[in-house]
Amino acid sequence: MAVSSSAVGNRLGEVIETSTTGFIAESDELHRLPDLGALVCVGGLDDSRAYYGVVAYGATGGLDTSRKAVRRGGDHLADAAIYSRHPELELILRTVFSVAVIGYRDGPGFRHVLPALPVPLHYSVHGCDQSTIASFCAAPRYLAALLNYNGEIMPEQIVAAHFRWIDNQLNDNHAWLADATRRLARLMKRDYDRLAIVLEAVAPD
Amino acid sequence: MTLDLSRVITQITDMVATVDPDHDRHRFDALRHLWETLDSNEVNSRLSNAKTSFLYASGSSDYRRVHALPALPDSFGVVATDGSMIVPDRHSPARYYLINTGTVHLRYGESPAAVMSATPDLRYAEDDLWVDTEARKLPVNDTILGLRRAVAELQAAAEALQSERLPSVAFVDGTLILWALESLDKPIVEPLLKSYVQALEAFTSLNQPVAGYISSPGATDLLGTLRVAICDYPDMGRTIDCNDCWKQLTEHGQIPHCEILPRVTDRYIVSQIAAIAPGQRTNVFPGRSKILARYGDDQWVEFFYLHTGREIARIEVPRWVARDPELLDRVHSVAFDQAQLGRGYPVALQEAHEQAVLSMADRRLVEETIERRLASHGVIVTHTGKDGSKRGRFV
Repeated sequence: MAVSSSAVGNRLGEVIETSTTGFIAESDELHRLPDLGALVCVGGLDDSRAYYGVVAYGATGGLDTSRKAVRRGGDHLADAAIYSRHPELELILRTVFSVAVIGYRDGPGFRHVLPALPVPLHYSVHGCDQSTIASFCAAPRYLAALLNYNGEIMPEQIVAAHFRWIDNQLNDNHAWLADATRRLARLMKRDYDRLAIVLEAVAPD
Repeated sequence: MTLDLSRVITQITDMVATVDPDHDRHRFDALRHLWETLDSNEVNSRLSNAKTSFLYASGSSDYRRVHALPALPDSFGVVATDGSMIVPDRHSPARYYLINTGTVHLRYGESPAAVMSATPDLRYAEDDLWVDTEARKLPVNDTILGLRRAVAELQAAAEALQSERLPSVAFVDGTLILWALESLDKPIVEPLLKSYVQALEAFTSLNQPVAGYISSPGATDLLGTLRVAICDYPDMGRTIDCNDCWKQLTEHGQIPHCEILPRVTDRYIVSQIAAIAPGQRTNVFPGRSKILARYGDDQWVEFFYLHTGREIARIEVPRWVARDPELLDRVHSVAFDQAQLGRGYPVALQEAHEQAVLSMADRRLVEETIERRLASHGVIVTHTGKDGSKRGRFV
């Protein structure tokens, strides 16, 4: 099942757990995963669909979760050299990332609501190209959903990471960032403390 | 029911109180003195006509010699295999066994790489489940299946090395000496022995050494040599004869002179008495089990002890490897390196075990798949009462 060409990007990984609110993917390459807050995409069961989500967590650990990592190095062996001395590590470790699903493409348009069905298991996760990012994120009505995402880290941090990432991708003199921040402020007008967390984390350079 | 430790703790305390570290001090002193003053020439002369009831290490000009750790090859390969089994279960309706062989192939040096796999082999034919002895047919038992598994492990290791150009070592977990065969009937022994020795010969053809790795070995070959050294029969002008000594004990209450030595394992002698250092190994000694005569000279199993840093391991190699200093050095250095990488036990063997191991869930999956397929063929299987009680444990 091909992913629509509007969301072409290198394959990042594969969906290994899925539910209505999001999915977990295993990276194709150990230690490599999309940035926190990045927009990613998964193809649908038919050509007209594609699902979009924001990366909300990442981890590297044993493929078999009952096996815990132990120290492998010391004074004489550290960092990348550990992987050369232990070639089996590439096969017994894996990197995974969690994605909060925030919308989908339905025909020509995008919808910023949870899809009716979870993302299909074992489908590829791709990065999104700039035009897709610009189109999907144009008027972000998914912020409320993202703020209520129940994951491993504070949703405020995910929103902040997402804002920084989009701002960086679009490189539009912070135009999108300004608009998104205003939307966020309206959403969080009764919760200034939470808003402050996001704003402080975003603070453009 | 889980164990209620509080009800056993008093007994444990009492038991520990009976252990007196000083009780056998004079015996350990005798052991240490004997080792330090060991005359290897005298030992060899005694061994030339000794009739012992135990195994011993032999054939060294200096039994106490210690060998330093050689350098690793620049680039080399390691293959390790391990097998896991589902054995025929009397309470299961299906008649089959399954051997799952895990294989790990690692490369070190210039281009590190790893390949891991597991291959299941399910057998159900009459010939697989029954063994023909002259008198009758016997169902395969755990011993026979264990030996078939050992053959499968060797075959998988040799196969992995087929395409390997780097100097390598193949490790299997456990001994290369088929002790278990000594107690089986000849018609059962023959085919098993033949396939095992053939599997060993594959490594000779590849010119890649295979080694059996035994963690915390219970062997007492060196102790046997020391018992020969301390025996008082030669002092009386007689050749060593344990049968005669046994008669003296049972008929006249004469305690054998070697009883002065404490009943310790070789690993104790090597680590505490000889006190070899991490990385060092002992001499290589030939195995003396009767079954080895059937292996032929090239595949005759020899062994040495290695200080892995964490413990004393026993490494067994075929004679053709022991005779080649380069190959022996390779087995020595790679075994030590593997044990460092694996924090006390060869990492390749650990991973081979992980590949091979079958969980309860795996076993149930095989059973259920078979039952579903049988059902689709119109054969409905029923479970025994005992099996049912284990599946559905109720309160």
